[in-house]
Amino acid sequence: MKLTLLVTAAPHQENAWHALAFCKAALARGHDVQRVFFYGDGATHGNSLLLPPQDEPDVAQGWRELNESHALELVVCVAAALKRGVMDADMARREDKALANLASGFVISGLGQLAEAMMEADRLVSFPG
Amino acid sequence: MKHTLFIQHHAPYGSESPQEQLDALLVAAAFGQKVSVLFQDDGVWQLLPQQEGHALERRTLAAQLQALELYEVNALYADAASLAERGLDQSRLALNVQVLDAAALKKLLGDQDLLLRF
Repeated sequence: MKLTLLVTAAPHQENAWHALAFCKAALARGHDVQRVFFYGDGATHGNSLLLPPQDEPDVAQGWRELNESHALELVVCVAAALKRGVMDADMARREDKALANLASGFVISGLGQLAEAMMEADRLVSFPG
Repeated sequence: MKHTLFIQHHAPYGSESPQEQLDALLVAAAFGQKVSVLFQDDGVWQLLPQQEGHALERRTLAAQLQALELYEVNALYADAASLAERGLDQSRLALNVQVLDAAALKKLLGDQDLLLRF
């Protein structure tokens, strides 16, 4: 089954962890998860400056590993990202910001990526905050 | 074509959710999806007329909801129970919505390919 995941929970919220666990389980069962779209507070998953304590799960790192092992697309909504202080090098240059902080494995794009993924998916599974 | 129902269930100015969900649904509609909207739980507060977002230095959500028509999103619904629980009069709402009882709501949800609620 083709799945699209929508994560609007922030990385420190419980549903963020459920999203990652669900995605791993779906991939292990052979489902086709093509894209995870991070929107709302979920956009902060793309912040490379997040540093959870060592005895707490690093959800963003978990997504990065899936990106590497399964070529899973991790797309962060541009409007939600900018509002929450997440930007890539091009955006930082354009907005005259001192640093770019988009985590590796994540890409920033528009809501059209969500709309497109919804059209292709058999199921959309959302993980709200 | 996929039938997608966006469920607005948050009060209009308590969080970013209503605005971000509206943005997502307008893009989905622009991409040619068959989009409808259900106002449920605290989401029915979004339907109050005479909202003045500027008092909170925010955009007025009700005014933006008027744009739904321009995107040909004409299937708008409100949950009768949610309205009743909050003492809202269905004849005095900012949008022309169809008010659904529990049975009609069940059918609406069952008719969708995708549901979005966040």
